[in-house]
Amino acid sequence: MSHEMTASAESSELSASGLSTAERLRVAGLHAAGDAVLSVRDLNVRFNTENGVVHAVRGIDFDLHAGRTLGIVGESGSGKSVTSMAILGLLPDTAQVTGSVRLQGKELLGLSDKAMCRHRGNDIAMVFQDPLSSLTPVYTVGTQIIEALTVHNPAMSKQAKEARAVELLGMVGIPSPKDRLKAFPHEFSGGMRQRVMIAIAIANNPRVLIADEPTTALDVTIQAQVLEVLHTAQEETGAAVVMITHDLGVVAGMADDIMVMYAGKPVETGSVDDIYYNPRMPYTMGLLGAVPRVDVAEKTSLVPIEGIPPNLVHTPTGCSFAPRCPLAGDACLDGEPELWPVAGAGLDGGLQHKAACIKTDSLGGDVDVREVFRAPAVPVSHFDAIPRAERRTVLELREVRKHFPLMKGALIKRRIGTVKAVDGLSFDIREGECFSIVGESGCGKTTTLLEIMEFHKDQDGEVVIGGLSNKQAADARTKGAMRKELQMVFQDPTGALDPRFTVFEVLSEPLENAGMAKPQIRARIMELMELVGLQPDHVNRFPNQFSGGQRQRIGIARALAVNPKLVVLDEPVSALDVSVQAGVINLLDKLRAELGLSYLMVAHDLSVVRHISNRVAVMYLGKIVEIGDVDAVFDNPRHPYTRALLSAIPVPDPVLERTRERIILQGDLPSPLEAPKGCNFATRCPVFAALPAAKQEKCLTLEPALEAAAAPAPAAGYRAAGLPAAPAAPTDQHFACFYPDGELDADMLVVHESL
Amino acid sequence: MLRYLAKRALTYAFMIFLTTTAGYFLAVNTLQPALLEQERIPRPTTEQVANSFRLKGLDPDLSPWERYVEWLTAIVTRWDWGRSPSGAFINAEFGDRVWISTRLFLASIILTLIIGIALGVYTAARQYKASDRVITSYSYLVYIVPAPIAYFLVQLGAININETVGERIFFVTGISTPGLEGDGWAQFVDMLAHYAVPTFAITIVGWGAYQIAQRQYLLDNVNADFVRTARAKGLTRNQAISRHALRVSFIPVAQSIAFTIPAIFAGGFFAEKIFAWHGVGSWSIDAIALQDVNAATATLAYGSVIFAIGAILADFATTLVDPRVRVQ
Repeated sequence: MSHEMTASAESSELSASGLSTAERLRVAGLHAAGDAVLSVRDLNVRFNTENGVVHAVRGIDFDLHAGRTLGIVGESGSGKSVTSMAILGLLPDTAQVTGSVRLQGKELLGLSDKAMCRHRGNDIAMVFQDPLSSLTPVYTVGTQIIEALTVHNPAMSKQAKEARAVELLGMVGIPSPKDRLKAFPHEFSGGMRQRVMIAIAIANNPRVLIADEPTTALDVTIQAQVLEVLHTAQEETGAAVVMITHDLGVVAGMADDIMVMYAGKPVETGSVDDIYYNPRMPYTMGLLGAVPRVDVAEKTSLVPIEGIPPNLVHTPTGCSFAPRCPLAGDACLDGEPELWPVAGAGLDGGLQHKAACIKTDSLGGDVDVREVFRAPAVPVSHFDAIPRAERRTVLELREVRKHFPLMKGALIKRRIGTVKAVDGLSFDIREGECFSIVGESGCGKTTTLLEIMEFHKDQDGEVVIGGLSNKQAADARTKGAMRKELQMVFQDPTGALDPRFTVFEVLSEPLENAGMAKPQIRARIMELMELVGLQPDHVNRFPNQFSGGQRQRIGIARALAVNPKLVVLDEPVSALDVSVQAGVINLLDKLRAELGLSYLMVAHDLSVVRHISNRVAVMYLGKIVEIGDVDAVFDNPRHPYTRALLSAIPVPDPVLERTRERIILQGDLPSPLEAPKGCNFATRCPVFAALPAAKQEKCLTLEPALEAAAAPAPAAGYRAAGLPAAPAAPTDQHFACFYPDGELDADMLVVHESL
Repeated sequence: MLRYLAKRALTYAFMIFLTTTAGYFLAVNTLQPALLEQERIPRPTTEQVANSFRLKGLDPDLSPWERYVEWLTAIVTRWDWGRSPSGAFINAEFGDRVWISTRLFLASIILTLIIGIALGVYTAARQYKASDRVITSYSYLVYIVPAPIAYFLVQLGAININETVGERIFFVTGISTPGLEGDGWAQFVDMLAHYAVPTFAITIVGWGAYQIAQRQYLLDNVNADFVRTARAKGLTRNQAISRHALRVSFIPVAQSIAFTIPAIFAGGFFAEKIFAWHGVGSWSIDAIALQDVNAATATLAYGSVIFAIGAILADFATTLVDPRVRVQ
């Protein structure tokens, strides 16, 4: 068989490079660790493309034991998804897969599609990334679950299969599972569909469960729910789990072992604590330093990793990370380093701590990653010294509303309801500050931005930009003046740039529009390129010649071209990889300080928000439920929704993740038609659920208004019911809840202390 | 569902009324049957022509509006679609014509669909292999070749066969042999001999469109995420495609089928002309040539009705195969 031949060929090659006999045997797949359910040896995947052979996965080894979780972490293009597809044999025929994949001792590579089918979905199952497209739209959820049972248990009776399907749906937390069996996928939300996917995957009690970015497409609160379901699924089935993700936070609490991949190769492996607390490969160190932390108030710059991953068409001759590595020397370019055991690391049941870096031993725990990667100093704006109240207001919203009528009927439309996308929003942004709006999808963040950009006098509510109100914006000149004050950076940097425009044309368009003369435009563009950290001589290139992070820099340069006071950032880094994201965030921080800009940012990633913002507003169903200074809101959240949202965010700190208490909200964002009369959040509120009926009545009938929070009492913690001990001074923090100190419902609290 | 169908039917009835009315005014203003009468020998006087037309309800002296009201009243009260300048009754001729058209196309439509969709699935599963390339190239070829030319070629081929064998096996024109005597079996063989050539011709040029559409839609779905999910469950690639991708890919095809079937019934001018089956299609062309207002309008109305049925069928087919479409 081809893979065995390749394996032996590789082993002879390796023996020449001086590996021990045991290591060679292990690589050849002859000596799989005793009780591993899944052992992968020297897995290689190559694709033939027009540009040549892309070597997407280059030699992966791991052993997976029952009940344990392996996290495979890497950026896009690092080969992590290809690895999972190769294990399952789902790659197209054009892919050449070599090496060895053994499931409970049985070789899987080289099996025919038909032979492989006995294993797929039976003892090895998979959960995919996008729940919206992963279920067949024309079959009921029940049919699709039962199909997975039928394939592997043809003798099972119809009743038994149905009973099992109901049991599975119940297990993954779908309410009234018996009725939902007959529902079609489009009748479920994204989170619910991912639960169904998990139900299908665990239907036959697999020994190995592979989850490929299972929560990337979901909101944080839903992500927390789905991770919880995965956790339960693993407990129920005792399966070994491979968790593939780019999010270091998601795996911190779930994984036992971690494998960090870069350019198709594992560059560091080890137990989760080894990787997070004692990383030995500069790439891993950089990745960990590049992630902003939602739980840390102290402001430090993020670690940017310059450059882009290598093109895998060419075989690397040196360390594949060397071109981006600040520590790289000449020795690093001489041959690709293998995974070396880290000195002093023991084998504690899981993966041995190994790193593919020749400088491993000099990178102990006392090396400061920020120094290594030359993270810039925290920029200081001259506005920071001025109290907020004394700064000029650049944007003010007063009672802005946007309601969409919900219509029914074809010819004669009837109004059956109203979608209150934005419902009475008021806030202001001062000079030099970053104000962020956070919330789940569907909460009205984007509509708010659109309303701000509208400049129309018939809008419901007032938007004042740089002293100009939308109520005066009748003529084109006022609108032009307003536009000049406010520019926008979009989420998808590729979609936001015209592919037929060179960077010069992209940047000159707003300047020409503002009436600037040709020579000045040229000078200004050079200045802008420099400002956002791009090479000025690249102005004649087209957007497709730049990487994602560089494209976003072009988008920022375009927004800054006309010298706006306020820049609206719509999810500015969510489309970027972690290492690139850090560079863009640092840039935004620097520009705010140097140019005295104000930002209005919309983001779903609360860690990014905490890192970059001064103030934050939490939105739920069109309303602000909590607003205030970012540290006050994040450290001392008062509204139950803010608390739930913050607790849903996984932190890249394994010890903290294992012990912290989480609030898992039940269900999804309610549809606008089902929005309750009183407090919008009552249907999902953990405090509401624990309240006595008499108090619940108030939440259901009265709408809580935004009220100033008292400054947190220093020692007393939560006050007892009754009057506050001392009238604390009101702070900048406001929230809309009657019972902020109420007890949380026990069902919605989860602690994984046992882990 | 019934309520929905009734509602749709009502909407379409109104639209049919509008198109037919517009068609009538167009016909009555442009078609001048009196001019044709002038070519008769002996040439009739204008009064004679007017008189004869008046008796047939085609009075040229009335205004278009008056004629429209008269025509519409006859339809509404007596279901009488009027007469041709030749004196023939539209109602009588109409039934015969529709029956002929239906007989001509029914078998070939069924064959076209079955062969086209089956080949579409077959070629999609064998993308870029020799069989796929041959079949798909053929489909594009018949797309390009005008239908009448293909029909003539088939006719020539049938004639060739007849000559080679030295006996008339196939009839290349006509519906049946006039004045054929004999038992049921002889009648049946005669019918087959007439049926074979047009059915074959229409089918072989018809399936191409369905083959291309079905192949394309299926290929769009072969690599869909849900097919991957099905494979991850333990279905083989072919099982996953036939159970999951096929039904999803059939949604747009089902819709186009429902729309094109009526189009063939109402619009097969070329086939009807070339094979001399005098159905609705050739009638509508003849009506315009013979300046026949009532016949032209009647064929137009028939076309509209058939299209309305097609549209409702398309909706119906979509709701059958796609649960995401709800009927309200």
